[in-house]
Amino acid sequence: MWESFWFEFINFYFIPGLVLGCIYALGAIGITLTFGILRFANFAHGEIMMTSSYLTWEFVLVASSFGLILHPIIGAIPASICAIILALIVDRLFYKPFRNSPTIMIVIASFGMMLIIRSMVQVIWGPNQITFVKGIAKPNSIIKDFTSSIDIMLLIPNKHIFILLGTIIIMLIFNYLLSSTKIGKGMRAVSDNPNLAEVSGINVENIVKATWVVGGFCAAAAGVFLAMDTQFIESTMGFRMLLPMFAAAILGGIGRPFGAVAGGLIIGLAEELSAYPWLGDGPVISPGYKSGVAFSIMVVMLIFRPSGLFRGRVF
Amino acid sequence: MMKKILISGMVIAGLSSVAYSDVKIGNPMARTGPIPELVKPMSAAVDLAVEHVNDQGGLFSDGQKYVAVKVDSACDPVAAVDAVTKLVNVEVVTGIVGPVCSGATIAQAESVSIPAGVVTLSVSASSPAISEMENGTDLVFRTAASDAYQGIALAELAMSKGIKDIAVSYANDDYNAAIAAVFSKAFTSMGGKITGNEAHEPNKASYRSEVNTLGSGSDNLALFAYYGSSGITIMRNALETGAFENFIGADGMLAQEVIDQLGAENLGNVTFTTSASDSSTDAFKSWKKHADAAGVPASDPFVPNSYDAAFLMALAIEKAGSADRSKIAAALREVANGPGEKILPGEWKKAKEILASGGSIDYVGAAGPQDFDKNGDVAGLFSKNTVVDGKWKPVVIK
Amino acid sequence: MEIFLGYFLYAMSLLTVGGIYALLALGLNVQWGFAGLFNAGVAGFAAIGAYTYALLTTAKSQFHFGGLELPLIVGDITAMIFAGIVATIIGIICIRLRADYLAIATIGIAEIIKLILKNETDITNGPRGINKIPRTWEHFTEERFYSNFPMNFISNPKGWEVFFDSIPKWWWQPFFACTILIVVIIIYFLLEKLRVSPWGRMMTAIRENEKAAAAAGKNVTKRRIEAFILGAVIMGLAGAFLGQHLRLIEPTQTFDPSKMTFLVWVMLIAGGSGNNKGAILGAFLIWFVWSSSELVTNGVIEILATMFDSVDISILKNRAGFIRMLFIGLLLQFILQRFPKGILPEKRPAISGKSQKYAG
Repeated sequence: MWESFWFEFINFYFIPGLVLGCIYALGAIGITLTFGILRFANFAHGEIMMTSSYLTWEFVLVASSFGLILHPIIGAIPASICAIILALIVDRLFYKPFRNSPTIMIVIASFGMMLIIRSMVQVIWGPNQITFVKGIAKPNSIIKDFTSSIDIMLLIPNKHIFILLGTIIIMLIFNYLLSSTKIGKGMRAVSDNPNLAEVSGINVENIVKATWVVGGFCAAAAGVFLAMDTQFIESTMGFRMLLPMFAAAILGGIGRPFGAVAGGLIIGLAEELSAYPWLGDGPVISPGYKSGVAFSIMVVMLIFRPSGLFRGRVF
Repeated sequence: MMKKILISGMVIAGLSSVAYSDVKIGNPMARTGPIPELVKPMSAAVDLAVEHVNDQGGLFSDGQKYVAVKVDSACDPVAAVDAVTKLVNVEVVTGIVGPVCSGATIAQAESVSIPAGVVTLSVSASSPAISEMENGTDLVFRTAASDAYQGIALAELAMSKGIKDIAVSYANDDYNAAIAAVFSKAFTSMGGKITGNEAHEPNKASYRSEVNTLGSGSDNLALFAYYGSSGITIMRNALETGAFENFIGADGMLAQEVIDQLGAENLGNVTFTTSASDSSTDAFKSWKKHADAAGVPASDPFVPNSYDAAFLMALAIEKAGSADRSKIAAALREVANGPGEKILPGEWKKAKEILASGGSIDYVGAAGPQDFDKNGDVAGLFSKNTVVDGKWKPVVIK
Repeated sequence: MEIFLGYFLYAMSLLTVGGIYALLALGLNVQWGFAGLFNAGVAGFAAIGAYTYALLTTAKSQFHFGGLELPLIVGDITAMIFAGIVATIIGIICIRLRADYLAIATIGIAEIIKLILKNETDITNGPRGINKIPRTWEHFTEERFYSNFPMNFISNPKGWEVFFDSIPKWWWQPFFACTILIVVIIIYFLLEKLRVSPWGRMMTAIRENEKAAAAAGKNVTKRRIEAFILGAVIMGLAGAFLGQHLRLIEPTQTFDPSKMTFLVWVMLIAGGSGNNKGAILGAFLIWFVWSSSELVTNGVIEILATMFDSVDISILKNRAGFIRMLFIGLLLQFILQRFPKGILPEKRPAISGKSQKYAG
């Protein structure tokens, strides 16, 4: 049995921080892409996440009425397709008119979209919590037994394994996309310098659509993972995540997707570790200030190094 | 175009105020917000009281209709002030039955209803601060007992279960912070030890770190939270990691949703208290008969209190003889406290006849005798609830 | 008769809250319209103003710091000063940030301010908030005020009690509304003077073309900070009035960004950013739409109910609040696309002619 400190630290603080960080990371990718390529802070991003989880729940429900029991991840596939379509429609109707207007207009439009999407979900499904997965998730017994036999016992429930693995897989796909495909290179070009990209023949409108597709997919994944972790869905779950995700994107550097991932992991870990009893018995700062951790990191970054850890764009 | 919207808005607003021969009361409740599931049956109980009044002769000698104008105070002080302003000024209500949450009740009373001279009869606001808030005006009443008592009852419950040390986690809002403070004080004065006492911020995705930090000091947790905004998540995190064995808490947690989400098999060592009614009284039996017939859950938290409030308000208006706001407070005391002929839930016709002949009545409510003290408070009972067969089962603490 | 009184008082409350939002919009206009600063932390400054006023003027309480019971005017002025101080600190640190970044930073700072107000319970009573905040004009009816100077010059406490019992309970509402409206008008005139003054024209130059202005020797950063502070001071005053209107303030719901910050931005954009008249117009208009939309939605649902007997409207009734929010959001999008300059577009100060008037 490993030393009690490590056991507690890794299982109850570090791994949960990592899981939370993965969710922030996936959401932050969408935000940093929108920020970098479309050049505005998309306040409606959290609502896309939330809508994806609701749609996933709905699909699983409909399937079960036909006798099919689907795992949420399977249900997430049609849900993310719908979420992407929603993002594209919103862009066409509400953001496109402002492509060449001052940034403030599109930011306010996205603020308005946030309220519109959230209200639609509340009208359709109601404002109450809905159970996503029932019961308590116990640690995976295979891992538990294996690791305790080599003296470091890890307690990880299955849902966390899915989230961690899922994030890694999505990261690999995303990396391949950005570095080796034409669309990916186009996205990087537009993010660096849209005028030059256009002049060299890249169809910027297509890149914009691709951005919504990729960003929307990552948001959907983040939303479903969040729902799997908390095991319920509710209409403000997206908004609650929004500011930490902005913080993650800024921390990593705007326009740097892997910076956003790093930022997300750092913020997730920081939030969970801030409640650890580093000194003595109680947490270092009152848990009431836990949400302040992400904000403070973000504000500090903005002041001292707005380009972020990986030197992204500064407008 | 704006002008058209303006005019049509006023017209529709005017149309939506019902005909002048009805007697309207305001019914702001937290229909959205952190506890919607608890509020639904409470609202149904109000409807039941209104139905009884109207079916058994209505108000006054010409049988005017008793109408409860429903608005949403969202358990939020600002929304409550806005909603009640409209009730008092546009709908011109005679009295207010509601709100549900303490913060909302205090805000709307101080901002709107007390300055306007309108009586507020809250169905469930339990903050101790309400007893002291009035500045000499006698306009705020409630049919639910103050948390000053529930906190003590909970501490006694913990002691009686042999719990000597406990950690406390409370959601950082007005209701939960207040009852946590009362509990901590009472528990310590009874000789118990509080090993940790931390606030938590509602609406977060994970409380694993808070839960484990508190869990290192004790196996027992006193949880004061609303189920919808942090309660379920905290319990889930605690059960996943085995940080706590035993849980106690108060009525913000008492919802079927908790059992549905966490699974009854995991809730063996959980006890939550809530306000309760003594089911052996005649008044409760009468209430239960009507509630069962109408499909309203007779024993759910604050449901009988909601019926009592709506029914009492109607009795007060009937006693006052007109919809004049200034007469309601005195009339309310007379019909609730007696002396007089005892009136049970559902006995509107009987009460009306006695009042018409100049007699006095004393309403005995479903949730308790409902006699107002000088602060407009009532005494109350509490129950402890545990999970039995997939549902919460109450046992009244006497 | 009572119906008319009811509508009258409702109109008074619309004017009161509309006036408070007008002050917020005017403050925001200084920051955005004059200086091009995207402040998304309006709620934070209002919170500081409200809490400062509350802590200074409320009676002694076991729950929170206070008991100073200072005169209300002192409370108002100190609220403005405190908001200004916080704005100075934030401004010096953040002013160099570009539009989106400043927005996110200011949201983050507003959230931190709220968290501090929420957690420092010894000072602020935390989530339970501060109540019994004295309201201008209504405060005359409170014993603490009429027992002391200067009211006890005119009559003894018993005399005042009798007096106040004899006048209708709502007498202070029109006075309070008028006070706020007068403050709005005063600030409007001061800001208009500022706009055509050399300072104001310099701000316009900086906003239009920063590099040129800097090249011409203007200290861009300092001017921006000044505008930021001025706007925040006005917002602090608005916060103090809001505290008086609600009489109970608490850190989470009262200063919710989607209700406060967002709504003020909508008001400014709809009314006309850069235009002080537009700010005031936008405030009253949007507040009226917002407040009466509840009555309208309920009315529409009632009408639908009478038209379609078979439809179960209870679900609709429960969700009426969200339908309302949906329409406000769509309304905003409509205004943004059709009237991007707002109803009253910005007027530039004239180059010649007018400047003759103010040159002296």
